[in-house]
Amino acid sequence: MRTARSFAYLVTSLVAGPAGFVWTLATTLLMAVGAVTALGAPVFLAVTWLDRHLADLERRRAAWVLGAPITPPYLPVTATGRARVRQVAAQPATWRDMVWFAVLLPVGLTLGIIAVVTTVVTAAAVIAPAWAWSVPERRAHPLIQQAMGTHSGRLLISAVGIALIPIAMWLVRQLASAQARVAVALLAPGEHGRLVRRAQELAASRARVVDAQAAELRRIERDLHDGAQARIVAAGMTLALAERRARTLPAAPAPDGAGVLDGIATARRQLDEALAELRRLVRGIHPPILTDRGLAAAVSALAGDCPIPVAVTIETPERLSPAVESAAYFVVAEGLANAVKHAAATSCSVLARHVAASGREHLTVEVADDGTGGAEPAGSGLDGLRRRIEALDGTFIVTSPPGGPTRLRAEIPCAS
Amino acid sequence: MRIVIAEDLVLLRDGLVSILTGTGHEVVAAVDTADALLEAVAEHQPDLSIVDVRLPPSYRDEGIRAALRLRPAPVLILSQYVERTYAAELLADGKGAVGYLLKDRVTALDDFLDAVERVAAGGTAMDPEVVRQLFARNAQNQGVTALTPREREVLDLVAQGMSNSAICAALVLAPVSVEKHIGNIFAKLGLPPSDDSHRRVLAVLAYLNA
Repeated sequence: MRTARSFAYLVTSLVAGPAGFVWTLATTLLMAVGAVTALGAPVFLAVTWLDRHLADLERRRAAWVLGAPITPPYLPVTATGRARVRQVAAQPATWRDMVWFAVLLPVGLTLGIIAVVTTVVTAAAVIAPAWAWSVPERRAHPLIQQAMGTHSGRLLISAVGIALIPIAMWLVRQLASAQARVAVALLAPGEHGRLVRRAQELAASRARVVDAQAAELRRIERDLHDGAQARIVAAGMTLALAERRARTLPAAPAPDGAGVLDGIATARRQLDEALAELRRLVRGIHPPILTDRGLAAAVSALAGDCPIPVAVTIETPERLSPAVESAAYFVVAEGLANAVKHAAATSCSVLARHVAASGREHLTVEVADDGTGGAEPAGSGLDGLRRRIEALDGTFIVTSPPGGPTRLRAEIPCAS
Repeated sequence: MRIVIAEDLVLLRDGLVSILTGTGHEVVAAVDTADALLEAVAEHQPDLSIVDVRLPPSYRDEGIRAALRLRPAPVLILSQYVERTYAAELLADGKGAVGYLLKDRVTALDDFLDAVERVAAGGTAMDPEVVRQLFARNAQNQGVTALTPREREVLDLVAQGMSNSAICAALVLAPVSVEKHIGNIFAKLGLPPSDDSHRRVLAVLAYLNA
């Protein structure tokens, strides 16, 4: 079966080779003519579109011999107009398709002819005695006549023919798989396509991880809010009621009744401290106002709580993706905290701007102060921010020369 | 007093109900969503609504938004966290009858019940945490730095919504000196004297919007 498929592949290549060559020649000429006219772009796009479908056919033919499909190497084309031409032209796969159609002629013709000749010779040797017997040919070469004239001669030719069959089959299979391997080399994804694809996969999986992490943080915040915090508050309420009842008992229950009340009061104070601590934790994980009202409100609240004057400029859509919002928020929080705590700044400015340019959207966040500078970018706070923003495929730049001023600048891409 | 409660966590809703009913109030409705709150208030016309900031379905600031729609009816926000922005929004109409407390303040029962009654009577009750945020923010503000430590203490309590007599008790001061301190504070903050009963609210508001 495999031999038959290989043979069919090689024989059809005898047709496909010249056809591909003519096609390449014609389209190259067409594109050359088109390039000097206004029709260059549509002609190029039409030709490459057809090329891709023809190359798909070639891939399917080769896969038939190889027994395994060949992945199409094309990268998605998203742009339109001129940009589309550039995108298509930039893909090596476009040109490798053309090279294949050019190569198919010599390779296909050579291998096809070898396969046909081998098969014909083998078949001829096997059926020669029968042929000579049924269609006597007086004018044949004397050598052949001599061989055909004797029983032993006829037997020998048939034996040689039969012995040739497996060799011929092997040869046909080898030729077909050689041609298919050339097809794979040119039509399967090359290193460029593989790397681009890999990069896309990695970007997608990173985006999933980042989203999952943002969702997880919000879940933890919610769990703390609805679980631990609520339980502690409820326990506090129960204690408060118990304390009230103990205080209003008709008679002091025991000489140390006051001690019990003190105990309850202490327990309540401890619960309050636990709650305050939890609140601080929640704010560090994901500030509630960010969930409630989004980045602009959360940054305004941060600026409002800052003991030094903060000039805030925010030009962003109402809501961005949670991961982006939260990264931007913590840039501002860290910037303001550093300005107050370490830089001895007297004023600050915060800028958050959403920019959409050439199909790519990103959020720019900038925090600048007039303090003494000298912030250490490798410090745990800033380094954590940098890693957080790099996980979003963004950039984070800290400029803080000794003597100041300090400027934090983050650029975070937003999924559109 | 007739009270409506909006709180989605059963544990806390039950706790609040038992505290309020145990201290002689009547909880006419205890609901768990903002929409149900608006309906219950329309139906029962309570003396006070006690509302959680976070309510289903989105668990964001539905409680604040619902409270703003209920205004000028008396509303006491009880939340797991306080946000100055929300306090400013609630006080913005200058009409009083507003409170914004952390849920843990409930455990200081007497203070909590005092706040409940104050808000229902048209006063204010701001959480010390909100006030702390105010002071942190205004630490370098000219007006506040001009205050004496004692005046700061008094302003702290005024901002929380306490009456003069409550401030007298808290700071162990004579009523006259409290009045004098408050007069000085208003002067230093540039609030002109007036008979408006909401001047104390306006003082807090002036701070929030400073």
